[in-house]
Amino acid sequence: MARPHIEPFVDRDVPFKKMTLPGFPKGMHYKMLSLDTDDGACTMTCLFEPGYRQPPGMSYTEYELFIMSGYIKIGEKVWGPGSYFFVPAGVAIEELTSPRGATGLIFYNYGEPSFVESTSDHKQAERDRFAAVNSYDDMQWTSTNFFPATAPGCMVKVLRFDPRTQGFTFLYCMTPNFWQDNISYHDCCEEAYHIWGTSWMMQFGDLPTGGYFWRPPYINHGAFASKLGILAIGRTDTQLYNHFHFNPWTNIEENRDRAANRMLQWKPDLYKWINTHGHNHPVDFEYDHGHAHGDMPHHHGDGAVEHKHKKKRRHR
Amino acid sequence: MKFIQHKRSKEVEKWLRQEETEQKRRYRKIVAEQDALTPKRDKWIADFLYRIQTRGVHVHYNQMRKVAPEEIPVKPKRKFKVVF
Repeated sequence: MARPHIEPFVDRDVPFKKMTLPGFPKGMHYKMLSLDTDDGACTMTCLFEPGYRQPPGMSYTEYELFIMSGYIKIGEKVWGPGSYFFVPAGVAIEELTSPRGATGLIFYNYGEPSFVESTSDHKQAERDRFAAVNSYDDMQWTSTNFFPATAPGCMVKVLRFDPRTQGFTFLYCMTPNFWQDNISYHDCCEEAYHIWGTSWMMQFGDLPTGGYFWRPPYINHGAFASKLGILAIGRTDTQLYNHFHFNPWTNIEENRDRAANRMLQWKPDLYKWINTHGHNHPVDFEYDHGHAHGDMPHHHGDGAVEHKHKKKRRHR
Repeated sequence: MKFIQHKRSKEVEKWLRQEETEQKRRYRKIVAEQDALTPKRDKWIADFLYRIQTRGVHVHYNQMRKVAPEEIPVKPKRKFKVVF
């Protein structure tokens, strides 16, 4: 994903803008938090004016919507603060209205924001992946269940988990007087938005209510602290592993190098295979779009791991 | 299905260009603000390096270990930055 390192950014410092993209009805406003300049994927704070009405319709990209204040109605069902929706590409949702207005966050994951009026799903839509939950009322806090784990006092509610990439979306909180004295980095992109409260990181200082970051892989963050606690929503694009250490001055290259060396220690056989196989194009037999289609990133032993072939036409 | 191929309109292309321009401006502002934070950050780092020797560094959850003075890293001479 080609989003720059946006950290920290506080959306309270900028005004809402009218959403003017084709297809979107009047009455939706947004603040851009981060944008992928390759594919248009983005994260935005959004505001629905009182009386907002969006007809039934779908998006060309999967998206996630989280309601922070006010309420919306989808069809006849009312969704208040804490409501979370995961909407796969092409899945049509019922009419969305907001009689008294609402604010939320929208994550367009694989393309620019789009809205196409439709009462039925696109033929490629995967409706069974649609999810909706009120995370405040219907889910409970759990420990992070990572190893190594964040310090006591940081808890999560996992809203969505992608079993293939292990990327996930989660609410997280820090209790008052939370502190964690180490430095962390991850192999994944990570983003988060503070719904309420202020936390502190040794590199970036305070992140208050409305604070946001999009952090590419291998960037140091931490130590951490929060005097009064926080409530936030976070996301990763792949598996989150806490590479902890205590050297404040390491850079991305050193952190990545360390992570690769750790992989060598943890999975030596796989590491060796990846580095020595001539035409490295691993196929997951549980999924389509593997080697047969030739459209997945791979390399030919030359290290150009983003290499792709155009989809080959199948001969009958 | 994560994404459905479609043709982008000129309006969408224009919108994306505008947002990209604004994002570049936002990024430059962040970098400037973070550069200005350097004196405070240097103090925070010094405090951190002291705490991990006296109270300890978090290894996993509530497990901590005290770092010996000879383990404390030395700041390299290269330029130090936190936004990449």
